Amino acid sequence: MSDASPSNILVVEDLHFNYPTGQTEALKGVSFSVRPGEFIGLMGPTGAGKTTLALCLRGLIPHVVSGQMQGQVMVCGMNTREVTPAQIGEKVGLAFQDPEAQVIGLTVVEDLAYGPENYEWPPARIRAEIPRLLKLVRLGGMEERETFSLSGGQKQRVALASALMMSPELLILDEPTSELDPIGKAEVFDAVRRLRDEHNTTILMIEHAVEQLAEFADRILMMDQGQIVAQGTPRELFHNVDLFHRTGGERLPQVAELLFALEQDGLITPDQFSPYEGDALHLISRLMEAAHA
Amino acid sequence: MPEAASPVIQVRDVTYLYEGTQAAALDHVSLTLQRGEFIAFVGQNGAGKTTLAKTFNGILLPTRGEVIVEGHETRAAGLDMLARIVGYVYQNPDHQIFSNTVREEVAFGPRNLGLTPEEVNKTVLHALELVDMQKDADTYPFLLGRGQRQKLAVASVIAMGSPVLVVDEPTTGLDLQGSLSIMELLRQWNADGRTIIIITHDMQVVAEYARRTVVMAQGRVLADGPTRAVLTDQAVLAQAFLKAPQITRLAQSLNGRFGLPRDVLTVKEFYAAMKERLNQRSGG
Amino acid sequence: MPVGYSIYVETPSTLHRKIDPRTKLIATIAVFILALEFNHPLVLGLLTAGVLGVGLWAQLSLKRFLPFLLGASWFLILGVLIWPAYIHQGLPLFTVFGAVITLDGILFGLAMGLRVALMVVAAGVWMMTTSPQKMTLGLLKMGLPYKAGLAMSTSIRFVPLINAERATIIEAQRARGLRLDRGNPLARASKSVAVIGPMFLRAVDLAQALAVAMDARGFAARENRTSLIEIEMTRTDKIIIAACGVAVIIGLVLRLLGIGVIVKGYL
Repeated sequence: MSDASPSNILVVEDLHFNYPTGQTEALKGVSFSVRPGEFIGLMGPTGAGKTTLALCLRGLIPHVVSGQMQGQVMVCGMNTREVTPAQIGEKVGLAFQDPEAQVIGLTVVEDLAYGPENYEWPPARIRAEIPRLLKLVRLGGMEERETFSLSGGQKQRVALASALMMSPELLILDEPTSELDPIGKAEVFDAVRRLRDEHNTTILMIEHAVEQLAEFADRILMMDQGQIVAQGTPRELFHNVDLFHRTGGERLPQVAELLFALEQDGLITPDQFSPYEGDALHLISRLMEAAHA
Repeated sequence: MPEAASPVIQVRDVTYLYEGTQAAALDHVSLTLQRGEFIAFVGQNGAGKTTLAKTFNGILLPTRGEVIVEGHETRAAGLDMLARIVGYVYQNPDHQIFSNTVREEVAFGPRNLGLTPEEVNKTVLHALELVDMQKDADTYPFLLGRGQRQKLAVASVIAMGSPVLVVDEPTTGLDLQGSLSIMELLRQWNADGRTIIIITHDMQVVAEYARRTVVMAQGRVLADGPTRAVLTDQAVLAQAFLKAPQITRLAQSLNGRFGLPRDVLTVKEFYAAMKERLNQRSGG
Repeated sequence: MPVGYSIYVETPSTLHRKIDPRTKLIATIAVFILALEFNHPLVLGLLTAGVLGVGLWAQLSLKRFLPFLLGASWFLILGVLIWPAYIHQGLPLFTVFGAVITLDGILFGLAMGLRVALMVVAAGVWMMTTSPQKMTLGLLKMGLPYKAGLAMSTSIRFVPLINAERATIIEAQRARGLRLDRGNPLARASKSVAVIGPMFLRAVDLAQALAVAMDARGFAARENRTSLIEIEMTRTDKIIIAACGVAVIIGLVLRLLGIGVIVKGYL
């Protein structure tokens, strides 16, 4: 099932991983590939292995995080075993879940500069990039703000901007909004939307926010207990209602639940199924009008 | 269902200012909570919902106005007494857990209340049964997953036997399974006669569990009433930067056409309403 | 705290903007040495006033030095009370419990207190006029290993966070009936486990997560790092450092000549 053709930005082949303290494998044979420019959503219950997978894609596993890795990850043409995480870092960015634990600098500008400084960028180049990225995440003009005083949503946007300083080809986001309030969530999704619309960056987003994933993702992967148990377009994936009920880890968009129930009753056909509000409105109206006739 | 409508907490024109700030975190808030209610406080971070909840157990004392908990005014009552009436579960379980075993952790609160060792044992056992963690009684808490630790934090506070329970963000950071576990536990605890207050951003949870919702913004109460009415008040939600659950929004978009209800809280309700109308129309 | 857990105060003064952090460090050390070279209260008092004057020139209000001076005043009182018991030279003033208290004794005690004041005020000026970032950079350029510098700036960044969490933890445990204000000191100490435990675990978690985050951002990607902030030793800096050197040497000479010294046998 591997596709090592040069057109794939990411190819994961039969990836297994076991933490030193783990009784069972965290990843049990994961395989999938991603094309450049795709927006991939990754869902699954806690403990499914999503974060572990993210660490593997960034090359932190096997180099920095200890454990047993088998299988292969080819990202941006590099085999993660054969290169250093620093080399991968020039092409792959990773942002984490806890806003506190990833903002390193005392001020916003220091945090954005941290990565490039590590790669020996000349200060002039760093200074030239920063305003553009702050503008992208709508934090323009906040260079000298102390990071401690920022809200959760603002910290996550700083983390996003910092990950983008290296202009990565692949950006991995690990549950960026789970610790945020609704405004913070909206801010981060807004920045992600702008990123997707304005740049060619391939994005892999681990999220529980199913409505937003339905909106953004080209394809969604569902993980459970270390394996990928389903993948497809949002329409395809959210149609697999049994899977959601079985694994129990994720909610379905409520619209998907409703339309599935109608489909079970034969009121709509499988092709008419959709996880989107707009489609649901349309379908329900037609159904009710038809019954009226 | 509340056994008898009697006020368990009264908030009388409370204003609260954090030290060194000018803007009121609570601005002339008045509220009455009845025994046995299941209430959700919603609003953005900084709206005042947590500040308000903290005036219930005396962690914060009002700058102006008063809070009366089961007849005791909080300034006079003292933390010891209030801890027996209002249990407060903080958002991050890791801010509370420090013991070597689950059992020890749950026993901490009851011990502080001065219960005898037999009483402590009894209440610990009961609390562990409620959260279905008896088998983990001797486990080191940090070996448990986040969802389990959250349940442990709730159990630790439940063990203090307070008639009122405040839970700050019961479902944040949890997956569906974890959320359901906690919420069903709270539903059960409420059915046993306790008053439950949840502070949350999860509007689906609010729709499915809270019978009453209080919307806050900038230290003020924007709306306070049955969840059904509050979640369908688009103006209020917009003012508080909140969004109703998807199914509620869908129902509202239909705006009453086809006789479908506008104020829907769950998928089940909407589906049932649709089926009913469809059967009517087709004469069956 | 203005910037992380530091006492840095931002003002547009020359000392803040134009003087290299290394120069300020060297000047502070020079003042420390001068403090040791003299033990006459008048000299030390003048030096202290001089350093305070530098602080004022840096647009720091005198109010900011109050905590330092208040702390130093304890040493002043202690000095005046204790040293006369050891210094018996000079004009006798009165007798207490059979011991003779002399003028020189009191002056020496005063001088010891002023010495503390001088050092503390100098350190204060240094810290209030040098941002943590520039301070770290200065130390790195003087040879501090990168990892040590990183440890410094990371602590400054994270101590406020841990502090805030400590406050939350205390609240959460108080809500469970923990009373830290009751009981004898031993009981209180054992109760503190309920606060220190979660705090410590959280700090460890944070450290681990931070380490992974740093790795993800290219920690140790190259042999060297560049720095966004740049510091440079200008002619002014070199002049100041030279002046400090000269002052220290003059101080040494004066010391050997016995000028500015009240009691020759003591430091």
